[in-house]
Amino acid sequence: MRVVVADDVMLTREGIVRLLNDAGIEVVAEAEDADALLRHVRLSRPDAAIVDIRMPPTHTEEGLVAARQIRAEHPDVCVLVLSQYVEPSYAMRLLEEHPERVGYLLKERVFDVAILVDALRRLTDGETVIDPTIVSRLVGRRRREDPLEELTEREREVLGLVAEGLSNKAIAARLFVTERTVEAHVKQIFLKLRLDTNPESHRRVLAVLAYLRAGVGAD
Amino acid sequence: MAAAGTAARLRFAGIAVLVLTLIYAIASILAVPRSTEPFTTYAGATYAHASTAAHAADLAAGLGLLSAGLLGWVEPRTRRLGVLTLLVGIAWFGPDWEGWDGGSPFLRSLGAVVTPFFLALLFHLVLALPLGRLRSWPARGLVVAVYGVAAFVSLGRALFRDPFLDPYCWRNCLYNSFLVHADPGIARTLDDVWVRSSLAIGLLLVVMGAWRLLRASGPALRVLLPPLVPGVLAGAGASAYAVALLRTPLEDPRSAGFLAIFLALSLSVAALALGLAWEILETRRTRAAVARLASELGEAPPPGTLRGALAVAVGDPALDVAYWLPGAQRFVDGRGKPMEAPVAGHGRAATPILRDGRPVAIVVHDAALLEGPALQREVGSAARLAVENERLQAEVLAQLDDLRASRTRIVETGDAERRRLERDLHDGAQQRLLALSYDLRLARAAAEAAGDREDATLLASGGDEAQAALGELRELANGIYPAILADAGLAPALATLADEAPLPVEFGEVPPERYSAPAETAAYLTVLEAIADAVGREATFVSVDVAREDQQLVVQVRDDGAAGASGLLHIADRVGALGGSLEVEPQSLRAEIPCE
Repeated sequence: MRVVVADDVMLTREGIVRLLNDAGIEVVAEAEDADALLRHVRLSRPDAAIVDIRMPPTHTEEGLVAARQIRAEHPDVCVLVLSQYVEPSYAMRLLEEHPERVGYLLKERVFDVAILVDALRRLTDGETVIDPTIVSRLVGRRRREDPLEELTEREREVLGLVAEGLSNKAIAARLFVTERTVEAHVKQIFLKLRLDTNPESHRRVLAVLAYLRAGVGAD
Repeated sequence: MAAAGTAARLRFAGIAVLVLTLIYAIASILAVPRSTEPFTTYAGATYAHASTAAHAADLAAGLGLLSAGLLGWVEPRTRRLGVLTLLVGIAWFGPDWEGWDGGSPFLRSLGAVVTPFFLALLFHLVLALPLGRLRSWPARGLVVAVYGVAAFVSLGRALFRDPFLDPYCWRNCLYNSFLVHADPGIARTLDDVWVRSSLAIGLLLVVMGAWRLLRASGPALRVLLPPLVPGVLAGAGASAYAVALLRTPLEDPRSAGFLAIFLALSLSVAALALGLAWEILETRRTRAAVARLASELGEAPPPGTLRGALAVAVGDPALDVAYWLPGAQRFVDGRGKPMEAPVAGHGRAATPILRDGRPVAIVVHDAALLEGPALQREVGSAARLAVENERLQAEVLAQLDDLRASRTRIVETGDAERRRLERDLHDGAQQRLLALSYDLRLARAAAEAAGDREDATLLASGGDEAQAALGELRELANGIYPAILADAGLAPALATLADEAPLPVEFGEVPPERYSAPAETAAYLTVLEAIADAVGREATFVSVDVAREDQQLVVQVRDDGAAGASGLLHIADRVGALGGSLEVEPQSLRAEIPCE
């Protein structure tokens, strides 16, 4: 796998590069800002780009903008955005236009090589990656009449994994059940929550996140 | 004592002017030969001889000017104009005195001396409308030049013209009491100079009068038009008279041409007298209105009243009052809003209003309508207290505005500082903790590889601590300043607030638009504090509505908690700093935040 790494802090960038190299992933280019990132993506056509959300010049959301641009211009390049914010809005904005092959991970997770490599593999497989902290916060959100209470323990678990961006196959592997069982769970969940999105579509992650965020039953 | 003396002298002068004018008017009526008497050139003749109409027009013009002059004299503000008008009136009767058949030779000679000054005085009067004061240096120069020509001709004729030897004489061909040396050549030349000068002066009067009419502003035109139009017509009449004399040197009042010109000139002058009287009365009305100001303004007028009252009184809707704040060293209007230092120009005059010798306000008004000194005198005596009151009020309002601006600045500076802190935490401490976490992972991997389980466990726990520290640091940074608010706006920031809230938070519509940073921050913090307050009162849910109403962002929060004292002072301060308001009720609050 060929990867471009963009982070304006050298320490972090070097750490990520070293971890990826150790894991046998080739880093084809390093960038300090969004412009350099876009240039490298155009030139080296990597499989994935790892992008810090905050980069020069304004240190606000340059990374997010660059990520959306990469997805728009190069549909075959995956983008993993690293962020210090537990902020569903950023993640959802990332998913809005191109709901697959994008990921939003909290920055502190990247030095866990297993998580990093797993995220990159899931992205190249066409999945979506949403940080579990964000998902658990959304699932745990307080609601007056909580529709999630209608779900079984196992269904809630599956819902969380769907929200994290896992495919049915990946969920099945994670939970040690058959893919068919997962499919049944997902259908049941969508029925109970009255989510009218096709449970198999690429947009289901965004639909679930939006549902969880709305705080009340979707109607 | 000195003031009393001056007043007494003024009163005496007033009576003297009145009496003298009356005597002159009566004498002129008597002296002007009646049209019933036979017309005899050579011995003595005037236009009044020629026809009843001419007789009536002659008297109407002269007596009209004298009356208007007296009217102006009585009122201090128009005294200058009154004096000028009186002089024009006196000079108007010059030819009648000169042609007084059977009158005293001295008076008839005097009449001849006075005659040329009529046109010069008319020129001066029309140029000095509406207040009797010449405003520009060129105008002053021209008036002096015209007086010079008139004086030169008048004096020259008095010294060298023997009417007996003048082939073109008709009013008075007998007497010149001032004759020093008879020289028909000089007299003829002087006559010629005067006729040509009259033509020039008349045309100049028409041109300058018309130019003033075109240039005058609306309110000025109201008082300027009635005297200025007849004044211009009189100028045209004088020119026509000069042209007629150039064509026919021997003037004959009985000829249709000369008679028509005389009638036109007389009627113009009579109309001028009427116009002047109207203007004088109008000015007096203005003065009375200004004088009533103080009482009309009452004890505590609403801000900005004085400007309106003065504008109405003076008849100048564009009139403006600028109050000087000595402390802040700047000008404000009646409502305390800062304004530019007033400057005169483009027909506007800037008149300072003094109190104890210090300027308290500057009135910007139409220069043609009102003279600075008159305004100073009248506002100074009648409405000075009102001006001072309003200035103090304006000062307080201005200070209030300053205070508000300073509160806003304090809040904005605080927010900028929080934003900076949040960034510093991310770029400094967080990066170091990340690096530490990375190193601990490497060390742990090395320890595991070396089979050192104890160290590996220790390093793993260190790594977990570092992760926990990162999490806490993130929460801290978010609490100091939520980056999402600045990056994405109010709606996403409020959604995140609800994600983290310890109780259900339900939203109505939240407008997705972006607003000014202070407004968004104030709205965000209002909801944040309201949620915390609801939690403190053991509410089970909170509902939040945000709506844009005109220039306001309206935030309404309701809950079902216990009624109780709310600690929302901080929010009231912040919303107040933006000029908004916060209403707090037992289970709800409503914040109105200006967002434009």
